This record gives sequence, structure tokens and C-alpha cells, in this order.
Amino acid sequence: MSAPTNAVVFAGDDPGDEMTLLDILDHVLNQGVILRGNVIISLAGVDLVYLGLDVILTSVETALRHVGAAALPPEK
Amino acid sequence: MASELKSARGVLYLYGITESRSRKLPELIGVDRFAPIEAIDCDGVFSWISRVSADDFERNLARNMENLDWLAETSVAHQRVIAAISRETDILPTRFGTVFRTEESLCRHVAKRIRGLKKDFERIKGADEWGVKVFTIQPTALPMPRARTGKDYLKAKAALLPSRRSKASQRDDLVKFERALAGVATETAAAGNVSRGQRGISFQTSLLVKRTKRKRLESVLVKFAREWARERRIECTGPWPPYSFVSRPDDRVRSK
Repeated sequence: MSAPTNAVVFAGDDPGDEMTLLDILDHVLNQGVILRGNVIISLAGVDLVYLGLDVILTSVETALRHVGAAALPPEK
Repeated sequence: MASELKSARGVLYLYGITESRSRKLPELIGVDRFAPIEAIDCDGVFSWISRVSADDFERNLARNMENLDWLAETSVAHQRVIAAISRETDILPTRFGTVFRTEESLCRHVAKRIRGLKKDFERIKGADEWGVKVFTIQPTALPMPRARTGKDYLKAKAALLPSRRSKASQRDDLVKFERALAGVATETAAAGNVSRGQRGISFQTSLLVKRTKRKRLESVLVKFAREWARERRIECTGPWPPYSFVSRPDDRVRSK
């Protein structure tokens, strides 16, 4: 979704957009289909909040560097 | 020798399930940044997998997840694969870290859930997930007032403060916003718990929105963002594959 106004921040539609790692973790760790069974490793109990948001945020740049994405937008 | 064979054994890392197999799908690399993505036909639906090391993704997965660099890279790769498939066809995304030892075990588990999966395909057809957050904008530091006495100082400082609306009024604003979003969305769901701790966040939700209603969503967001101007900032991310709108045992999704 392109930004129609400065009043609201949109992200995610264009290849150059950045979804933050926090948003990605929110989705991939906490949501999604769970197929139960004894051969499945489920990580439903992992609560990353205890790891500290600052620590997670420091990993964003590493993640994006390795997957070839653009640099993070400057901090607001 | 036995241990070498054991460590070389691969497992199937599952990204998601689709009803159709897209022909236009670009070549994708999996979470290990090496193995290609494959589609396996299970009971008439397609399970999207890549073959990964059992050491990394089965035996040591929990330990790897404590390594934030590994977790960051791998979760971004997981999302990128699902997002690429979702641009071509509707997909039910699987939670991070779901692995199977064999194709047979994968298909057996898909078969067990096939009725629920079919219902979910109907539910998400032609729709994307959007994440919406509202942040309270912190007032900037005010200049120090000059005054002779403490009383004068407090008076001067009070005069500089912007008029604060009551908490109840602010809550009403957010309720109106939530209702407006619900009017556009097919369903809403509680947002994840990782970003819940972000500084200044005052509201957060996930929306399932038909692609035909995307402009309406945009209009609602812009309208409230303009109304709130300097009080709050709205952030919207998407389109996401519908992670928050697949059936789960502890279903938190609220249907309209």
C-alpha cells in the first residue's frame, strides 16, 4: 500500500517496504496453522517478550542484511 | 558413521497449505537459505515444504530459537516464502518451526485436518490480513517558564501544557476507530504478543479484509489519522498472509 498521506504509516506492499522484525515474529511465532502430532515441533509456548524488545530489535539489521533487504528506516 | 548418517538426515519444513498449485511461482529458497521450495500433493491440497537439516530444525530448534540472529534470519525467510506464495494463490500459513520427518507423516496430519482446512480456505478466500497499531505521541519537552515564586512557576507551566482530553474521551476515540475498522473487515483478531510491548502503543488489532475493500480500509485509516493529527500515530502493515485467521484450538478470532 503506497503512502497516501503522512498522517498514517503504511508498510509491506512494495518490495522496498520494511515490515519490522517484531511484526514478523508476531505473525510467524504466534499465529498460523498448527498441525498437532508427535512428529511436529510446536513452539506455541515461546514468549519472546521475556527476551527483551531491545535485544530483538538489534537483530533486525542482521536479518535484513542476510536476506538482502534494504536498510531500516531511521528511528522516529 | 551412524552419527554422520543421523546428522545428514533431512526433515520437511512446512510453510503453508494451498488449494491450487500456482504455475507462476518464482524459484524460492527455504528457511535454510539453500533448499528449494516444493509442493507436495496431500489429499488434494498442496503442502509447501523445503528439505532442511534435522539437526537445525528438529533436534536443536528450541536452542536455535534462543539465538536471536538465527531466529531473525530464519523467521524473515519463513515469512518471505509464504508471502511469495500468497501473491499467487490463497495460502493457509503454518506456524514457524513445523517440521515432519516424512512426506507420509505430513500427508497423514494434513488428512486429519482436511475438513477444517477446507473451511479455512473458504474463510480467507480473496482476503488479506492487515495489522493496525495506534501509538500515542509523546509531547515534546516544554520550555522552562520563568517565575519568581513556585506558585507562579506552576501557573506558567500549566498554561504551556496542551489541553488534555479526559481518558474516557480518548477511550471513546479508540472504540470508534475499532468499530470503523470492523466495518471494513470480514473478521478481526487479537494481535500477537511480541510487539505488544512497544513503547506508546495504545491499540492493536489484526484484520481480515477482502482485497476489494482495501481502498475502504485505507480511507478509514487516513480519516482517523487526520482527526488525531498530533495526538496519535497510526501504523498499518500488510498485506500479510492470513496468519491470524486460521482455525486453532484456542481460537481468539471474533467473527462478525
